[in-house]
Amino acid sequence: MNARRRSSFGGGSPSRLQPDVDTGPLLAVHDLSVHFGALRAVDQVSFGVAKRSITSVIGPNGAGKSTLFNLISGSIRPDRGRVVFRDVDVTGWSSNRLLDIGLARSFQVTNLFFELPVFENLRLAAQRLEPTWRAMLPTPRSTRALRRAEELIVRFGLAHKATEAAGALSHGEQRRLEIAVALASKPELMLLDEPTQGMSHVDTAETAALIRSIADEVTVLLIEHDVRLVMDLSDHVIVMHQGAKLAEGDPASVRMDGKVQAAYFGEAVHA
Amino acid sequence: MADMHGLIDTLQFVFAPQIVNGLSIGVAVILMALGLTIIFGLLDVINMAHGEFYALGAYLAVSLLAAGVNFWVCLVAVPVLMLPVGYVVERALIQRVFDRKDRHVLTLLLTFGLGVVLEDAFRVVYGPNTVRVDTPIGGAAQILGMYFPNYRLFVMAVGAAIVAAVWIVVFRTSMGAIVRAAAYDRQMASSLGVPVARVYSATFAFGIGLAGLAGVLLAPIYSVFPTMGKDFILLAFTVVIVGGLGSIKGAVIAGIVLMQIQALASLYISPVWTDPLLFGVMVLVLMWRPRGLFGALGNG
Amino acid sequence: MADAGSVIEAVRRSEDSRRRSLSAFALAFVAFGVAFAAIAAARGEVFFLRLATEALIFGGLALSADILLGYAGMLSLGQALFFGLGAYVSALVLKNVLPSFWLAMLVTLLVTTLIGLIAAVIATRARGVYFALITFGLAQVVAKVVFNTPSLGASDGIIGVPVIAIDLGVGQVTAASPAAFFLFCLAFIMALYCLCAYLARTPGGRVLAAIRSNEDRVPFLGYPVTRARMLAFVLAADVAALSGALYPVLRGFVSPELLYFEVSGNAIITVIIGGMGTLIGPLYGSALIVVLKSVIGSYTAHHLIVIGSLFVLAVIFFPQGLIGAVRPSLERRFALRAAPLRR
Repeated sequence: MNARRRSSFGGGSPSRLQPDVDTGPLLAVHDLSVHFGALRAVDQVSFGVAKRSITSVIGPNGAGKSTLFNLISGSIRPDRGRVVFRDVDVTGWSSNRLLDIGLARSFQVTNLFFELPVFENLRLAAQRLEPTWRAMLPTPRSTRALRRAEELIVRFGLAHKATEAAGALSHGEQRRLEIAVALASKPELMLLDEPTQGMSHVDTAETAALIRSIADEVTVLLIEHDVRLVMDLSDHVIVMHQGAKLAEGDPASVRMDGKVQAAYFGEAVHA
Repeated sequence: MADMHGLIDTLQFVFAPQIVNGLSIGVAVILMALGLTIIFGLLDVINMAHGEFYALGAYLAVSLLAAGVNFWVCLVAVPVLMLPVGYVVERALIQRVFDRKDRHVLTLLLTFGLGVVLEDAFRVVYGPNTVRVDTPIGGAAQILGMYFPNYRLFVMAVGAAIVAAVWIVVFRTSMGAIVRAAAYDRQMASSLGVPVARVYSATFAFGIGLAGLAGVLLAPIYSVFPTMGKDFILLAFTVVIVGGLGSIKGAVIAGIVLMQIQALASLYISPVWTDPLLFGVMVLVLMWRPRGLFGALGNG
Repeated sequence: MADAGSVIEAVRRSEDSRRRSLSAFALAFVAFGVAFAAIAAARGEVFFLRLATEALIFGGLALSADILLGYAGMLSLGQALFFGLGAYVSALVLKNVLPSFWLAMLVTLLVTTLIGLIAAVIATRARGVYFALITFGLAQVVAKVVFNTPSLGASDGIIGVPVIAIDLGVGQVTAASPAAFFLFCLAFIMALYCLCAYLARTPGGRVLAAIRSNEDRVPFLGYPVTRARMLAFVLAADVAALSGALYPVLRGFVSPELLYFEVSGNAIITVIIGGMGTLIGPLYGSALIVVLKSVIGSYTAHHLIVIGSLFVLAVIFFPQGLIGAVRPSLERRFALRAAPLRR
């Protein structure tokens, strides 16, 4: 268990957490709501994410999945409701504080440091494993960060491109790097926002294998468009529709759900 | 009763002149700010050379007047002459870095370099000394028992007319609609057949023309010298930032309010400290609303 | 297939070749400086030694602008504020308190850190062009206030700063000796350069580079962006002020012109022409601009037209500047040479 978290460079807010209690879910969302003008983007959504599970959020375009992610990861504040992570109320926390207690995310639109080398992208993220007082010591001494970056670059098959700029990678490689960067700080929970967005079939299959392989060190909450991939990967599926939660359960029961079939699979059959 | 009289006297002879003074400086600053804010609203360019274009307008007027051209003709001819200058500058310099990643910074640097060159060029052509321009309208009008120079009143009237005209062009004409469309969504406008690059150049030229017009208009009041733009540019930037970069309404309202604050404050504090005061107001506004008081060009 | 050990090795080699090419430029700069000092001293060229010392001092200012622009991606149009602050504080200490160089530096550092923090709170809340315009305004406002403050000498500035001897422990350098003081300034500015170059390679410095590359992503890596920007701002303020603090030692006076926009603008021009994001580039840029100014100055008083045009051309065609244009070939040479040495 990675309960001993590190503090951030320049202080952050070192969060003394109680030891993990194995009873409750790792992440619990209660009654979360936000509206933009008249649009109820997310409407009273509640669910839990069990430790070491892969939980997926699916739903048609505009169902509020990405907004839900932004609410959980601190990009926007909810109007109502709470986000509880590791038994701490983290509602409205800033993104860097959330990372401090082990909540990382990736982005649907690839969001990397495109001018910097691939390895540097990973090292930057892995630097969070080092104590704050190292911030002004030379990097070669930051062995924990170096080793973590190295481990990930090999595992994600990007070792031969270590010194190339991240912007020079292919789309599929960038999507992989995006996941690796989120994983580098050894978070407890990773929010993956459409990791296979725009990928070829081969790349999608590879990415699915990757997600499965990281699931034994980190809990994953996933937004996906690719229904087959979701059903294949997930332990638990949450279906959203027009901002609200339509159904949840294991993949088989969700697939059988009449409401879900009507609202979602009905439209997706032609895909 | 004596107190009442004292109060009226104070209002009439102390406050009122300051208010009028503030308004006439306000008009100058608003004309500068309008050009700046339109250029930023559409092109996302901070035109650091705007003060030098203002000076260029004044110097062109000096040259034309020396050649025997009537002042009233200058008032029209100078802005017209400035249009091709602005167009070429946009085409030759700004377009070149427009597609690079940090174009905000690059265009700011480019226009800053251009300002450096222009200012030195004024020294080469016109010499470093102040040039006086005769006031085309002499005399003063008596209003409410106070005298105001006629030319200042004229400048205020023209300024108000220009603001109204710009407003109408941007928000009430099809040309303005095209500009606003391009400001709102470049790709979309382009796919609808708007010649975006040309709209950019034309808008930049328009902003430069406004600066030139301000230069001619204010030359008789403030006289003409190479660094004349520098004195104004900070005020103009303060106004534009407080009003909201890209907002025409913001530039006008912030121009009037800030210049009134400055004029009235200078009754109580040394003029030296009015700049820090305005700057302080700007910082406070930015803390409260990081994007200024009003939104961008699209929203008026 | 690349194994684990070779990845770090490859990364290290690539970073080394980059670092070495910059170190080579830094060493060459010192070598040029020492050679220049030797020749100029032998021929008694006091004027050129003083001019070169001034180039170094303004090079320090440009260095501070590059920390912000080249590393953190923050365009400051008001670095003259801190340069002038350092000059004034140092002049006041030397003239009114004690003619001790190190005391003047210490007071400058403390005062600038404090004022830099206050300015950072105001300025670093803003992003992009807003930051540029706020730093611009901040410096202009302070310049105007200083210009009108009689206790700071108003438009005259502070004159009559004593000529001092700098105690180096093993001996003394007197500011009256042009060659010795030039070499001292060379060492001083290079020390500032080394400090900055070192910090750029630390984890904290890498976070700055990340902010420049993609600011929005940084919070999701767990780093507080505003705090990092504030630290960079204060560091740059200190570097600018320590450079400025040398100015009254050289010239014996300070004037409000040091706070003007021309000085800030000149620093930016120097950074772009020398090579943004290289730290050593601004020092070369400063030397180049001083040379250009004196060469052009022998023909015309209007060197700004030439330098301004050169700057505009550099922004359009050589955004990497002087060092950026030369470096790639040098880096290849280092990469070739480093490879066989490693194993």
